[in-house]
Amino acid sequence: MAVKIRLRRMGQKKAPFYRIIVADSRSPRDGRFIEEIGTYDPSTDPSTFKINEELAKKWLANGAQPTETVGKLFKAAGIEK
Amino acid sequence: MDKIYEQTMLFDFYGELLTEHQRSVYEDAVYRDMSLGEIAEERGISRQGVHDLIKRCDRILQEYESKLHLVERFAKAKKTVAEIERLTFCTECLEEADGETGQMAGKGADKKSGGMETPQVAGAQKMQTRLQAIRRLSHELLEEL
Repeated sequence: MAVKIRLRRMGQKKAPFYRIIVADSRSPRDGRFIEEIGTYDPSTDPSTFKINEELAKKWLANGAQPTETVGKLFKAAGIEK
Repeated sequence: MDKIYEQTMLFDFYGELLTEHQRSVYEDAVYRDMSLGEIAEERGISRQGVHDLIKRCDRILQEYESKLHLVERFAKAKKTVAEIERLTFCTECLEEADGETGQMAGKGADKKSGGMETPQVAGAQKMQTRLQAIRRLSHELLEEL
Protein backbone atom coordinates (compact mmCIF):
# COMPACT_ATOMS: atom_id res chain seq x y z
CA MET A 1 0.00 0.00 0.00
CA ALA A 2 1.46 3.26 -1.08
CA VAL A 3 1.20 6.09 1.39
CA LYS A 4 1.47 9.69 0.27
CA ILE A 5 2.04 12.97 2.01
CA ARG A 6 0.06 15.64 0.23
CA LEU A 7 -1.72 18.93 0.63
CA ARG A 8 -5.45 19.15 1.00
CA ARG A 9 -7.24 22.38 0.41
CA MET A 10 -9.32 23.73 3.31
CA GLY A 11 -10.84 27.09 4.10
CA GLN A 12 -13.58 29.10 2.48
CA LYS A 13 -13.82 30.24 -1.09
CA LYS A 14 -11.16 32.88 -1.81
CA ALA A 15 -9.54 32.13 1.57
CA PRO A 16 -7.68 28.89 1.10
CA PHE A 17 -5.28 27.21 3.40
CA TYR A 18 -3.96 23.68 3.22
CA ARG A 19 -3.53 20.76 5.52
CA ILE A 20 -0.49 18.56 5.10
CA ILE A 21 -1.84 15.07 5.41
CA VAL A 22 -0.66 11.50 5.24
CA ALA A 23 -3.07 9.34 3.28
CA ASP A 24 -3.41 6.14 1.32
CA SER A 25 -2.60 6.93 -2.31
CA ARG A 26 -5.83 5.28 -3.37
CA SER A 27 -8.12 7.55 -1.37
CA PRO A 28 -7.34 11.08 -2.51
CA ARG A 29 -10.96 12.05 -2.85
CA ASP A 30 -13.01 10.43 -0.12
CA GLY A 31 -11.71 12.70 2.61
CA ARG A 32 -10.10 10.02 4.70
CA PHE A 33 -6.56 10.44 5.83
CA ILE A 34 -4.26 8.67 8.24
CA GLU A 35 -2.77 11.64 9.98
CA GLU A 36 -2.45 15.40 9.74
CA ILE A 37 1.14 16.49 10.15
CA GLY A 38 0.92 20.21 9.52
CA THR A 39 -0.68 23.19 7.83
CA TYR A 40 0.30 25.60 5.09
CA ASP A 41 -1.17 29.08 4.76
CA PRO A 42 -0.13 30.85 1.56
CA SER A 43 -2.48 33.81 2.05
CA THR A 44 -0.17 35.49 4.55
CA ASP A 45 2.73 37.52 3.24
CA PRO A 46 5.14 35.73 3.26
CA SER A 47 3.35 32.38 3.33
CA THR A 48 3.54 30.43 6.58
CA PHE A 49 3.54 26.76 7.41
CA LYS A 50 3.61 24.57 10.47
CA ILE A 51 4.99 21.08 10.29
CA ASN A 52 5.26 18.49 13.03
CA GLU A 53 8.84 17.55 12.29
CA GLU A 54 8.80 14.36 14.31
CA LEU A 55 5.78 12.96 12.48
CA ALA A 56 7.09 14.08 9.11
CA LYS A 57 10.39 12.27 9.69
CA LYS A 58 8.61 9.20 10.97
CA TRP A 59 6.46 8.96 7.84
CA LEU A 60 9.35 9.64 5.48
CA ALA A 61 11.35 6.91 7.20
CA ASN A 62 8.41 4.58 6.70
CA GLY A 63 8.48 5.22 2.98
CA ALA A 64 5.64 7.72 2.58
CA GLN A 65 6.00 9.69 -0.65
CA PRO A 66 5.64 13.48 -0.38
CA THR A 67 4.22 15.27 -3.42
CA GLU A 68 6.33 17.87 -5.17
CA THR A 69 4.68 20.74 -3.30
CA VAL A 70 5.00 19.05 0.07
CA GLY A 71 8.60 18.23 -0.76
CA LYS A 72 9.26 21.93 -1.25
CA LEU A 73 7.70 22.74 2.11
CA PHE A 74 9.77 20.06 3.81
CA LYS A 75 12.90 21.48 2.23
CA ALA A 76 12.01 24.97 3.46
CA ALA A 77 11.45 23.51 6.93
CA GLY A 78 14.80 21.72 6.78
CA ILE A 79 13.26 18.25 6.94
CA GLU A 80 15.15 15.57 5.05
CA LYS A 81 14.82 11.88 4.87
CA MET B 1 2.87 34.25 -4.78
CA ASP B 2 3.10 30.48 -4.47
CA LYS B 3 2.01 28.61 -7.55
CA ILE B 4 -0.60 26.43 -5.88
CA TYR B 5 -2.09 29.47 -4.15
CA GLU B 6 -2.25 31.38 -7.40
CA GLN B 7 -3.95 28.44 -9.11
CA THR B 8 -6.41 28.02 -6.25
CA MET B 9 -7.36 31.70 -6.23
CA LEU B 10 -7.80 31.82 -10.01
CA PHE B 11 -9.90 28.68 -9.83
CA ASP B 12 -12.02 30.07 -6.98
CA PHE B 13 -12.82 33.13 -9.07
CA TYR B 14 -13.09 31.79 -12.59
CA GLY B 15 -13.43 28.03 -12.16
CA GLU B 16 -17.05 28.00 -13.21
CA LEU B 17 -16.06 29.25 -16.64
CA LEU B 18 -14.20 26.03 -17.34
CA THR B 19 -15.93 22.93 -18.68
CA GLU B 20 -16.97 20.27 -16.21
CA HIS B 21 -14.18 17.95 -17.29
CA GLN B 22 -11.52 20.66 -17.02
CA ARG B 23 -12.88 21.65 -13.65
CA SER B 24 -12.75 18.18 -12.20
CA VAL B 25 -9.17 17.55 -13.38
CA TYR B 26 -7.99 20.95 -12.21
CA GLU B 27 -9.61 20.42 -8.84
CA ASP B 28 -7.78 17.13 -8.37
CA ALA B 29 -4.52 18.88 -9.17
CA VAL B 30 -4.82 22.05 -7.07
CA TYR B 31 -7.26 21.15 -4.27
CA ARG B 32 -6.05 17.59 -3.70
CA ASP B 33 -2.45 17.90 -4.81
CA MET B 34 -2.73 14.78 -6.97
CA SER B 35 0.09 14.02 -9.38
CA LEU B 36 -0.33 13.92 -13.14
CA GLY B 37 0.18 10.18 -13.05
CA GLU B 38 -2.53 9.64 -10.46
CA ILE B 39 -5.05 11.79 -12.31
CA ALA B 40 -4.23 10.10 -15.62
CA GLU B 41 -4.49 6.60 -14.25
CA GLU B 42 -7.83 7.25 -12.63
CA ARG B 43 -9.39 8.59 -15.79
CA GLY B 44 -7.71 6.26 -18.21
CA ILE B 45 -6.08 9.10 -20.13
CA SER B 46 -2.42 9.76 -20.78
CA ARG B 47 -0.17 11.63 -18.40
CA GLN B 48 0.68 13.99 -21.24
CA GLY B 49 -3.02 14.60 -21.77
CA VAL B 50 -3.50 15.62 -18.15
CA HIS B 51 -0.43 17.83 -18.31
CA ASP B 52 -1.70 19.62 -21.41
CA LEU B 53 -5.15 20.02 -19.94
CA ILE B 54 -3.83 21.62 -16.75
CA LYS B 55 -1.53 23.92 -18.72
CA ARG B 56 -4.44 24.94 -20.90
CA CYS B 57 -6.60 25.64 -17.84
CA ASP B 58 -3.79 27.72 -16.32
CA ARG B 59 -3.69 29.75 -19.51
CA ILE B 60 -7.46 30.16 -19.73
CA LEU B 61 -7.74 31.27 -16.10
CA GLN B 62 -4.83 33.68 -16.45
CA GLU B 63 -6.42 35.17 -19.51
CA TYR B 64 -9.60 35.88 -17.55
CA GLU B 65 -7.51 37.46 -14.82
CA SER B 66 -5.61 39.65 -17.27
CA LYS B 67 -8.92 41.03 -18.51
CA LEU B 68 -11.00 41.16 -15.34
CA HIS B 69 -8.37 41.49 -12.58
CA LEU B 70 -10.74 40.06 -9.97
CA VAL B 71 -8.02 38.31 -7.97
CA GLU B 72 -5.84 41.41 -8.02
CA ARG B 73 -8.73 43.63 -6.94
CA PHE B 74 -9.67 41.19 -4.23
CA ALA B 75 -6.11 41.28 -2.87
CA LYS B 76 -6.15 45.08 -2.84
CA ALA B 77 -9.55 45.21 -1.15
CA LYS B 78 -8.33 42.74 1.44
CA LYS B 79 -5.40 44.99 2.27
CA THR B 80 -7.62 48.05 2.55
CA VAL B 81 -10.07 46.25 4.81
CA ALA B 82 -7.20 45.09 7.02
CA GLU B 83 -6.04 48.70 7.29
CA ILE B 84 -9.54 49.87 8.22
CA GLU B 85 -9.75 47.11 10.78
CA ARG B 86 -6.46 48.15 12.27
CA LEU B 87 -7.72 51.71 12.57
CA THR B 88 -10.88 50.63 14.37
CA PHE B 89 -9.68 47.61 16.31
CA CYS B 90 -6.91 49.02 18.41
CA THR B 91 -8.80 52.19 19.23
CA GLU B 92 -8.45 51.33 22.90
CA CYS B 93 -4.73 50.65 22.93
CA LEU B 94 -4.16 53.77 20.88
CA GLU B 95 -6.35 55.72 23.26
CA GLU B 96 -4.21 54.54 26.12
CA ALA B 97 -1.10 55.67 24.34
CA ASP B 98 -2.83 58.91 23.45
CA GLY B 99 -3.84 59.29 27.10
CA GLU B 100 -0.27 59.02 28.33
CA THR B 101 1.17 61.51 25.91
CA GLY B 102 -1.93 63.59 26.52
CA GLN B 103 -1.21 63.69 30.23
CA MET B 104 2.35 64.74 29.65
CA ALA B 105 1.19 67.46 27.36
CA GLY B 106 -1.39 68.32 30.00
CA LYS B 107 1.25 68.74 32.66
CA GLY B 108 3.17 71.08 30.44
CA ALA B 109 0.00 73.01 29.81
CA ASP B 110 -0.87 73.08 33.54
CA LYS B 111 2.16 75.17 34.25
CA LYS B 112 1.08 77.73 31.76
CA SER B 113 -2.67 77.88 31.92
CA GLY B 114 -3.79 75.37 34.51
CA GLY B 115 -6.35 74.09 32.01
CA MET B 116 -7.33 70.37 31.73
CA GLU B 117 -8.75 70.60 28.24
CA THR B 118 -5.62 69.92 26.27
CA PRO B 119 -5.46 66.10 26.41
CA GLN B 120 -9.11 65.81 25.50
CA VAL B 121 -8.73 68.16 22.60
CA ALA B 122 -5.67 66.25 21.40
CA GLY B 123 -7.58 62.97 21.72
CA ALA B 124 -10.50 64.31 19.77
CA GLN B 125 -8.19 65.53 17.06
CA LYS B 126 -6.54 62.13 16.79
CA MET B 127 -9.93 60.48 16.52
CA GLN B 128 -10.85 62.91 13.75
CA THR B 129 -7.70 62.01 11.84
CA ARG B 130 -8.47 58.33 12.13
CA LEU B 131 -12.06 58.75 11.03
CA GLN B 132 -10.84 60.71 8.03
CA ALA B 133 -8.42 57.91 7.20
CA ILE B 134 -11.21 55.34 7.42
CA ARG B 135 -13.41 57.48 5.20
CA ARG B 136 -10.66 57.80 2.62
CA LEU B 137 -10.00 54.05 2.67
CA SER B 138 -13.65 53.15 2.22
CA HIS B 139 -13.82 55.43 -0.81
CA GLU B 140 -10.76 53.68 -2.21
CA LEU B 141 -12.64 50.40 -1.82
CA LEU B 142 -15.53 51.73 -3.87
CA GLU B 143 -13.29 53.09 -6.60
CA GLU B 144 -11.77 49.66 -7.07
CA LEU B 145 -15.11 48.19 -8.11
